[in-house]
Amino acid sequence: MKSAVEEILSLKTLKIGYKTGNAENIILPELNATAYKGELIAVIGKNGAGKSTLLRTIAGLQQSLGGTVCHDGKDILKFSRIELARKVGYISTEIVRAANMNVYDLVALGRFPYTDWTGRIDNENQIKIAEAIRNTGMSALTSRYISEISDGERQRAMIARILAQDTHLMIMDEPTAFLDIGSKYEILYLLHNLAKNSGKTVIFSTHDLHIAISQADKIWLLTNKKLIEGAPEDLMLAGDFENLFESSSVRYDSDHGTFSFHVFEKGTIYVEGEGIIRHLTEKALSRIGFVVTGIKSKPCLIVPSGENKFWHLVTNNSTFRFSSIYELTSSLNNLDLKTI
Amino acid sequence: MAEKNQMQNDLILPSARQQYLIFTLLLLSVIVFFVLDLFLGSVSIKSSDILKTLFSGGNEQLSIILFKFRFPKAITALLVGIGLAVSGLQMQTIFRNPMAGPDVLGITAGASLGVAFVILGFSVNISPDAIKSLGNWILVAASWIGAGVIMMVILFISARIKDIMTILILGIMLSSGISAIVILMQYFTSESLLKAYVIWTMGSLGNLTSDQLNVLLISILAGVILSLVSSKMLNALLLGDNYASSIGLNIKLARIVVFVCTSILTGSVTAFCGPIGFIGIAVPHMARIVFRTSDHKILIPGTILIGGVVMLVSDIVSQLPGSEKVIPLNSVTSLIGIPVVIWVILRNRKYSGIY
Repeated sequence: MKSAVEEILSLKTLKIGYKTGNAENIILPELNATAYKGELIAVIGKNGAGKSTLLRTIAGLQQSLGGTVCHDGKDILKFSRIELARKVGYISTEIVRAANMNVYDLVALGRFPYTDWTGRIDNENQIKIAEAIRNTGMSALTSRYISEISDGERQRAMIARILAQDTHLMIMDEPTAFLDIGSKYEILYLLHNLAKNSGKTVIFSTHDLHIAISQADKIWLLTNKKLIEGAPEDLMLAGDFENLFESSSVRYDSDHGTFSFHVFEKGTIYVEGEGIIRHLTEKALSRIGFVVTGIKSKPCLIVPSGENKFWHLVTNNSTFRFSSIYELTSSLNNLDLKTI
Repeated sequence: MAEKNQMQNDLILPSARQQYLIFTLLLLSVIVFFVLDLFLGSVSIKSSDILKTLFSGGNEQLSIILFKFRFPKAITALLVGIGLAVSGLQMQTIFRNPMAGPDVLGITAGASLGVAFVILGFSVNISPDAIKSLGNWILVAASWIGAGVIMMVILFISARIKDIMTILILGIMLSSGISAIVILMQYFTSESLLKAYVIWTMGSLGNLTSDQLNVLLISILAGVILSLVSSKMLNALLLGDNYASSIGLNIKLARIVVFVCTSILTGSVTAFCGPIGFIGIAVPHMARIVFRTSDHKILIPGTILIGGVVMLVSDIVSQLPGSEKVIPLNSVTSLIGIPVVIWVILRNRKYSGIY
């Protein structure tokens, strides 16, 4: 199967880290991974696991300590700076703070590896810039200064810049950091489209496991000085995500692909009802420390449905009525179910 | 630029026309102030006499004042303005620091040290007259080296310390350290050399011989050409080192080009005219205010023209036209430059990283 797909990047026994004088500070000793055309790859790992170092090494901004990085089958060391700039684009959390630089100027800098020494933007470059601006939905903002637009818009402009750079591979170090939740998903949607519709290979790091699992084709999990590669579901099956957390109070729930805190369990409760109301009620119950059981038993909570606008909690002795989940949870926090 | 703007009409507001207009106005002001600089001086001469001398050759005394004194001085003002302003712009971009400039970072001080070595250093063995025969290129070269050494030190430090304020403080420290060395040298030198040096430090545009003017002209021309060549690199450097190299810029090469260019520009100006303050830091900001762009293909020609105008105006003011007195050039440039610098500080107080 895979041989039919174009291989964009391959890492072989790659050793990454920093050199200080003669001493090597090795962060990850041996990495093997591959990226194919059109893949959206999420790099996940704890702080200090080497995500940024890995991405910088792939982008050629930092030298590896051993092993090889191959772009389109050619060793990164054999590329000149300009040639590499035509293969791989890079965005990090570093914010460009140039005064008086407008969105157009920023995107136009993406054409740097293609223009002559004067930096003149000819017709062909112009078309690429316009395309990049259009594809990121920045057309209305081209003459705005980058210091005056929102964080989300600036990140789109940065993505437009590497689109203009016209590379197969786009490396993004935490592209959704500092963004509000709306912009976060807009950026992800954009990355997803770039991978699926424009055939770009996007490798991005993130701390948001939920985003990574739901959007990425492949995950590179950096843990215990190793890189584990696979579809999110493969890693879930293998239980790899649990290694991410040392602390025992946070738990990854493989069934739901979510995280939870270990909360002191207050007891079990049976929930009767359907739909979103039931789902949200269950969430609220587990948040305050109840385990929702599938076996019909008491106490039993009947969620609103149809004519019934109230939550009814039926215990062995009595029935309580609540008009909102908040009312329900605050009462449950104060009640001892065993005594009622 | 013309083509670029024509094609981007559908994308961006056409500001090219405005920029052409500003360029034309600036060019006109350069010409106007250049002529004014010829007309106005500490010796008051009737305009009609000047015109007569210019076009039909008037009396000998007048043509000496005009051609041997005022004309070279106006040319010098123009060159000094251009040199300092362009090197200031390049430094602000390469250090990504709005407060960078040849004088603030100690580059001018470095050049002064080079000059001090030439003027004062030889006094031990060589008589004052011998210095004149040493040649202007030695003076300039010493100045370049002095400027270059400090530039290198600052570049080295700024690669490790990103904080703008720390770098500025280090620049001030370097300047003070250099002044201390120069003062020590003054202590051991002869009185006549000391006087020559002290007069030099006051900054002057009028003391250049025609040979010196030629050296200055060639150096500034070389620096300006190099700076125009570097404009694409400077645009990339605006993104910061990481992004700049990710789009294919050879950072080391860019640094060397800018380094050589600023050393030549600052060094040559300082060698002949003394340390002139605040032009290098203020003019690039004026250009940014006027052109509202970050594109060095516009900013460099812009700073060249504005630098020329500001220096010509400073020269005219320092002559106190109509009076017999002349005030030091440095006080005039400071009074013009400092308000601009304060404005930049106030505007940027929230973001110490913006430039």
